[in-house]
Amino acid sequence: MLARVANNLFWMGRYIERSEHIARYMNVNYFSSLDAPNQVSQNRQFVLRSMLFMVGAPEQDPNKILKEEDVLFKIGLDPNFEFSILNNVKQARENANSARDLISTELYEAINKFYHFVLKYPKEIFVKSGLYDFTINVSEMSAILRGKIRGTLLHDSIYAIILMGVNIERATQVTRMINTKYNDALLTQGNHDIMFSKSAEWATLLKCAESYDMMRRFYKKTPTSISTLEFLILNPNCPRSVMNALNQVYKNVKILNPEKRYNKNSTAFLIGRVRAEYQYKYIEEIEQDIKSFIENILKSLDDISNKINEEFFNY
Amino acid sequence: MTNIKNQIFSSYQKNSDLYDEIYDSEGKIKPVYKKLFDIYGGHSIQDYVNLNSKAKSSFFNQGITFQVYGEDNVQEKIFPFDLFPRIIDSDEWEIIEKGSIQRSKALNLFLWDIYHEKNILRENIVPLDLITSSANYLDQMNGVNPPGGIYNHISGIDIIKHKDGKYYVLEDNIRCPSGVSYVICNRTALKRALFGVFNHYKTHTVTNYAENLLDLLESVKPKGVDVPNCVVITPGMFNSAFYEHSYLAKTMGVELVEGRDLFVENDFVYMKTIKGPEKVDVIYRRIDDIFLDPLEFRPDSALGVPGLFAAYKKGNVTLANAPGTGVADDKAVYTYMPEIIKYYLGEEPILNNVHTYHCSRPSELEYVLENIKDLVIKPVDEAGGYGISIGDRLTQKEIEQVRKQIKEHPRKYVAQPIMSLSVHPTYIDKSESFEQRHVDLRTFTILGKDKEFVLKGGLTRVALEKGNLIVNSSQGGGSKDTWVLKKQ
Amino acid sequence: MSKEYTVTYIAENTYENWVDNAFWQFLIIPEENETQDLVSIDFSNSIHAINQFSINGYGFNTIRLHSRKKFKQISFEATFKLLKSFQEPTHLLSSPTMEDYYDLASSIDFKVDFEKYLRATRLTSIPHSKADLFQFDPNLSIYENLMSLNNWVYIYIHYTTGVTDVHTTLDEIIEKRRGVCQDFTHLFCAISKQNGIPARYVSGYLNHESGFFGDSQMHAWAETYIPTLGWIGFDPTNNILANKNHIKVCHGKDYDDCSPLKGVIYTQGSNKTSHSVTVVGQQKAVQQ
Repeated sequence: MLARVANNLFWMGRYIERSEHIARYMNVNYFSSLDAPNQVSQNRQFVLRSMLFMVGAPEQDPNKILKEEDVLFKIGLDPNFEFSILNNVKQARENANSARDLISTELYEAINKFYHFVLKYPKEIFVKSGLYDFTINVSEMSAILRGKIRGTLLHDSIYAIILMGVNIERATQVTRMINTKYNDALLTQGNHDIMFSKSAEWATLLKCAESYDMMRRFYKKTPTSISTLEFLILNPNCPRSVMNALNQVYKNVKILNPEKRYNKNSTAFLIGRVRAEYQYKYIEEIEQDIKSFIENILKSLDDISNKINEEFFNY
Repeated sequence: MTNIKNQIFSSYQKNSDLYDEIYDSEGKIKPVYKKLFDIYGGHSIQDYVNLNSKAKSSFFNQGITFQVYGEDNVQEKIFPFDLFPRIIDSDEWEIIEKGSIQRSKALNLFLWDIYHEKNILRENIVPLDLITSSANYLDQMNGVNPPGGIYNHISGIDIIKHKDGKYYVLEDNIRCPSGVSYVICNRTALKRALFGVFNHYKTHTVTNYAENLLDLLESVKPKGVDVPNCVVITPGMFNSAFYEHSYLAKTMGVELVEGRDLFVENDFVYMKTIKGPEKVDVIYRRIDDIFLDPLEFRPDSALGVPGLFAAYKKGNVTLANAPGTGVADDKAVYTYMPEIIKYYLGEEPILNNVHTYHCSRPSELEYVLENIKDLVIKPVDEAGGYGISIGDRLTQKEIEQVRKQIKEHPRKYVAQPIMSLSVHPTYIDKSESFEQRHVDLRTFTILGKDKEFVLKGGLTRVALEKGNLIVNSSQGGGSKDTWVLKKQ
Repeated sequence: MSKEYTVTYIAENTYENWVDNAFWQFLIIPEENETQDLVSIDFSNSIHAINQFSINGYGFNTIRLHSRKKFKQISFEATFKLLKSFQEPTHLLSSPTMEDYYDLASSIDFKVDFEKYLRATRLTSIPHSKADLFQFDPNLSIYENLMSLNNWVYIYIHYTTGVTDVHTTLDEIIEKRRGVCQDFTHLFCAISKQNGIPARYVSGYLNHESGFFGDSQMHAWAETYIPTLGWIGFDPTNNILANKNHIKVCHGKDYDDCSPLKGVIYTQGSNKTSHSVTVVGQQKAVQQ
């Protein structure tokens, strides 16, 4: 496989995953806030700020009154905002375009449909009444793409590269959501004497990662900070956990480079090392200093991505 | 009007000045179209409108589109596709197929000659300055022996049917002819929409193109290579034919590369893969000569590969089509095709050339000056339809002007009779009915070492504007599925 | 008799920004021919890229480099040792008359064989208004005519550096009457071709020890085809025939075919290039 095209496939996977997470984050936060248990969480400004924080464009001015329609448009359909869902899907398709000869017609057609859906979605409807419809469709179409990736591609190096992109992005997005919700939980706690560890934001976080139901099943208790973080970071069986994503990335890098010898310069070595760190971590260690955890894991994910770039895309 | 009992064709207006592909000389529907006509007639207009819009969205979702650059945005468009197919029976097809191969072979021998001994020039059958003044003539190709002796591996020949019911060749395209992917897409789309009609006809498949193309590429591998590594090179995804490039790479199961994916080391070509460099042996190139190698041709080309030409000249990699092939699809060379075929093959041309008057020859000049009204006047050295005057559309004043221009520079002009392209029933969105539209046909010929193949089908292009004779997609042309029938 | 030469070619390129990826092709190796024997080639570059020897589209030897490490500054140095043999050009006096020549040149075989060097190119086209700058004398032999053309070009253009560059066309050169060796050569070739005599542009090195014109860079002169004699070199910059001091690298239709250094550089911003050439000769009596 061409190094350039491998790079395209890797990023195709990342952009698909990214658009899904942003869409679900918008959806879950907006609709949870409508009947949230406390006033801060119900406050529309609070939700809009949270969304902007999550996509990496936090509002710096604490006194500015944000306009809901502007914020929704910016994150959803703004062609001039780099991290909008529209631009993520567009990037996913452009990357798919240059790898078009390698992926199945079915996958390409699904990506193409996805793109045209987002491109043609009427802006006025989206910002006034279409948020639910739009974000649900984006999530579902991403799920279809995942199905097409698994079901119509040969499970060889092409598949491995896409899955590495998907999983690195998933770990990144889940971490970003943890970061945002951690931030939100701190804010709600500060003003209203709600216990940080029992904040409603944890349930929202789980829903954003489509993991609420399974978490309830697993712990049979209302989510707290520690159980939520344990589930979303360390539980290898939770399909959205950072641990699970690291395991997937490791499994797939071995398809690309199956060598077994000790090679501390390889991508596989680096991934294995990061994986080992979290495999044997106490959640209490993380909970004590969530900020450092977030910084460290984002840095590790970035390092892995750079290493992949160096080993496979630069030849 | 006979046999028109149904809505869908009820408003079809037949202009008897034009050659309509589905009627015979007595105005009856040709037997070969009869069944098709009845089946389509069985549909109501509403059915047809639905089928048509489904076919369109299928193209759109498959991403079989090209981009149109507007003032502030980029739009994606599909090539309009017409659901009423064109049928060519086996006898007529035999002529087209033999004629296409004959032209390809003659052009190949011609190219070998002008880049080696140059006998046809020495015997003054084709004028020397016609060749060497062509921008597509490459000095660097002199004495180069392309692997397998093949220059024009892939040719696309544009053929029309004139009022007299005979086929004429308008143009030979032997640089990077495109359109073959649309032949296959059109077939797929028609099958999806109206699979029932196929039951009544024995139609040749068109899906075997890619395997034949791969066969060809492997047949012209460099010396000493056992199993050649073939690739398709594209200018990139913003090229209007990118869909075709990726389609061909995918169906052949080879890599689709861009210039930046390749590099040359010690005169061998390699591609950059995730596992390091991998040697490349045969390149089906879809970029023009001048962009191939910035060290040898246009120095600012970012599409090409530095050192590629040296590797080619050394015989370490094959390029299909060969560089410098474009000199033979010049408009001026076209006019010599009958002579070229006779010279190299000792045969009469199977497909007609449109007769060409050279204004540089005094006797022909006289005829041209007297008959501008019935002629198309073309400058020899302009491409892309520039500077063409169509005699019957000129005012008296314009005719005088053209006459003056020709008199001043007779060498610059050739003239041809005004050809009328045949017409074919075509569904027109605006009027929601079938109307006569002009069509042509592009055939695809593959020439390899001991191999020749013409795709049994072709791209029937149709001018969607009423009365328009220009079928190019850039001018709003569409296309039709083209059926070549098996021998009964 | 033969003479041993040592030619040193040095080029230095400095770029404003980092260069990630670059290719160079050098067309600077002396040609091996009847009068030139290459003894040794030594080529090095400051970034330790591998030297690749290849042959360009016109059949001349080249050196190619491909760098993948980033750099801002690179220098190249080539040293060639060669033996140049020579003889006095007494045979030239037997050149055909213009009349005999035109008989021969009117044959289609001649036109086909020499078309490439009869064709006017971008750099060897004379504007219509200047078509009669120099007239051939029908009473002189072809060689004599070319000698007087050589002399005429030498007088017409004043050797001046910095006025023209490698893209300057003849209309401007004729107007300014100033230029360097490639301008002299282009004008000579253009007039020769205009008179139906095949002419080609030659790129090479000049031994300056005898005080010839030309700065310390590569030199250019012309070769014309004279039937029965073959290709004969004229150096209009110095108003002499090409001789033992002229070390040929390659020939072509004009400068574009012979450019000594071609590069494909992926960077932004400006760059500076400097070249220098030194030729050192040592007369040697070689035993026959």
